[in-house]
Amino acid sequence: MQIASQQFRERASEALLDPNIRTAFDGLKTGFAAARARSVAALPEFPAMREAARNIRTHTLENLDLYLERYEEAVRAQGGHVHWAEDAEDACRIVRDICRKAGAKIVTKGKSMVSEEIGLNAVLEADGCEVLETDAGEYIVQLAKETPSHIVVPTVHKTVQEISELFYERHRAYGFEERVTEAADLIAQVRAIMREKYFTADVSLTGANFLIAETGSNIIVTNEGNGDLASMLAPVHIVTAGIEKVVPSLNDASALLRMLGRSALGMETTAYTTFMTGPKRAHDLDGPEEYHVVLIDNGRTKMLDGPFREMLRCIRCGACMNHCPVYLSVGGHAYGWVYPGPMGSVLTPMIAGLEEAGDLPNACTLNGRCQQVCPVDIPLPDLLRRLRHERWEAGFVKQTVRWSLGLWAWLATKPRLYRSLTRLGMAVLHKLGGKRGRFRRLPLAGGWTGSRDFPAPQGQTFLDAWSKGAKQP
Amino acid sequence: MSADARTQILTRIRTALRQNGAVPMPPAALDRRMTAPPTAPLPAMEDDRVSRFIAKADANGIAVDHIASLQMLVPALARLLSETGLKADISVAPALADLDWPKDWQINFAAGRREEHLSVTFAAAGIAETGSLVFRSGAGSPATLNFLPDIHVIVLRTGDIAAYPEEVWDRFRAEGQGWPRAMNVIASPSRTADVGGIVVRPAHGPKAVHLFLLGSD
Repeated sequence: MQIASQQFRERASEALLDPNIRTAFDGLKTGFAAARARSVAALPEFPAMREAARNIRTHTLENLDLYLERYEEAVRAQGGHVHWAEDAEDACRIVRDICRKAGAKIVTKGKSMVSEEIGLNAVLEADGCEVLETDAGEYIVQLAKETPSHIVVPTVHKTVQEISELFYERHRAYGFEERVTEAADLIAQVRAIMREKYFTADVSLTGANFLIAETGSNIIVTNEGNGDLASMLAPVHIVTAGIEKVVPSLNDASALLRMLGRSALGMETTAYTTFMTGPKRAHDLDGPEEYHVVLIDNGRTKMLDGPFREMLRCIRCGACMNHCPVYLSVGGHAYGWVYPGPMGSVLTPMIAGLEEAGDLPNACTLNGRCQQVCPVDIPLPDLLRRLRHERWEAGFVKQTVRWSLGLWAWLATKPRLYRSLTRLGMAVLHKLGGKRGRFRRLPLAGGWTGSRDFPAPQGQTFLDAWSKGAKQP
Repeated sequence: MSADARTQILTRIRTALRQNGAVPMPPAALDRRMTAPPTAPLPAMEDDRVSRFIAKADANGIAVDHIASLQMLVPALARLLSETGLKADISVAPALADLDWPKDWQINFAAGRREEHLSVTFAAAGIAETGSLVFRSGAGSPATLNFLPDIHVIVLRTGDIAAYPEEVWDRFRAEGQGWPRAMNVIASPSRTADVGGIVVRPAHGPKAVHLFLLGSD
């Protein structure tokens, strides 16, 4: 996937003017965020469970080499293959070679964020494969040639009307001539198309919510059952997973799954939680003949080596974005890459590079909600602040911003001058504000006055009022 | 190439951990943690496990019925078929092949088919915490039968209901049969909300799940 994070400002400004985006993403507050709050409130043990989840992730990361070795051993013992990939290119090549060897024409895919991170679909398509996302939401954005706008609900930005148009245009190829407009009828078409594809696919690809060192399993959670059907019906199953996905045991996975459903959707569990371990056994009646796992680094060992290690605790629930005022206002596409919202603003610079990530670390009000709702307590605001600092140090901050901040810093360290200038500024603005006491328009403050009046200053400066108050007994 | 990548990645991990003050667990302690995994804090459960399981399954949209013995399954299915107006062309998990199945029913005792109106499978365990069912794939229980049918009929021994998944894992570890290719934990019929946030049943899997609880606790 092409990275467009450097255009965050422009894309965010456009998004802010789009009423559809505002309505769609606002719905996440009343939907997922509210559901999460209800499910957390109903569970007195939640804080203790959250702490345990955080500790499991920290413990695993501190012993990551050992758990990856144990995991690999367990997969091999069950007849599966483990491949290691340094970066996106390496990972795509490994998957492409497995597909070539299998003579793959049709590849069915369950949802996998890491496959989007490495740009896998484009590579397989260039190699002549038909690659089909089977998750209804991922399928819709794939058909529309768009990208997901949320890591859990990829279609938040799309209206039923738009999906109806899209299907009417594209599903005639499958014999659906009539225009349908109801969600149930639209999904029925997806179900029918995919049913056929599951049985004709040569290779299936899924991600992994977790990998389990104890058993050599990968876990996928879905509500649709698509990843399960894809992986059990194609003769070859390939799992793509970041190296940080491993956990020690089934018990650890269960503890994390309790946090995942509640944090993502406000639900105790998804409809399907599947533990897949190796290929079809000798007496099995179904399942893939081959089972491959591609363990992907792509910047993760770099994160392990330093202050961003905590980010590797992330279990991809999306709670941080559901509670982020910036994400909820501009939507997922403004972020310009696979991972949006607070987690994306940390992951994009870490994986794609500080320069590529542009202004993302600034797309944050530092209100701290993301860390509060994070099921594994990642200090996202601290990490974003650190990235801002690194951007400054690396010289990626624009000259105009550097000069104005320099000027501000100079002024702020001269208390006398600072006070006189602010007093003067206030007096002038007060005068100009006149009887109305507010401004409809103000030079350099169009962002503010675009949607509300700017109040004219009244009374004294803060510092004057403070020192007067301090003198009173 | 990939053997090389493996060494490189593991080396970078070890260097990163050493340089940043991570405290690796001693090998013996790690072995203990793997063979006897600790259990994290669990949500409290006030009701007894069977009532809790039934309440949760019901809330998740699973229809729950009781049968006293496996002999009662076929008559119960006959009723279900006549209620739903389906013809008796079904798939049944080979684990249930020995029952007294009517001669005039078309029964596929094998993996699931492309079009599958109704299948009958046997769950290895129930989880009261979430009202979920656990299936182990194998010669007697093909995993496809849990996902392909429109109506999924499940048989579960009431005695196999555990309070938490951790108890189920413990039981499987103790049974020592190794891990199957697939363990499917199923909590409800298949659904999606990817079109306009409207909940639609089914998405790709069964639109209805019907559970027969066998015997008493």
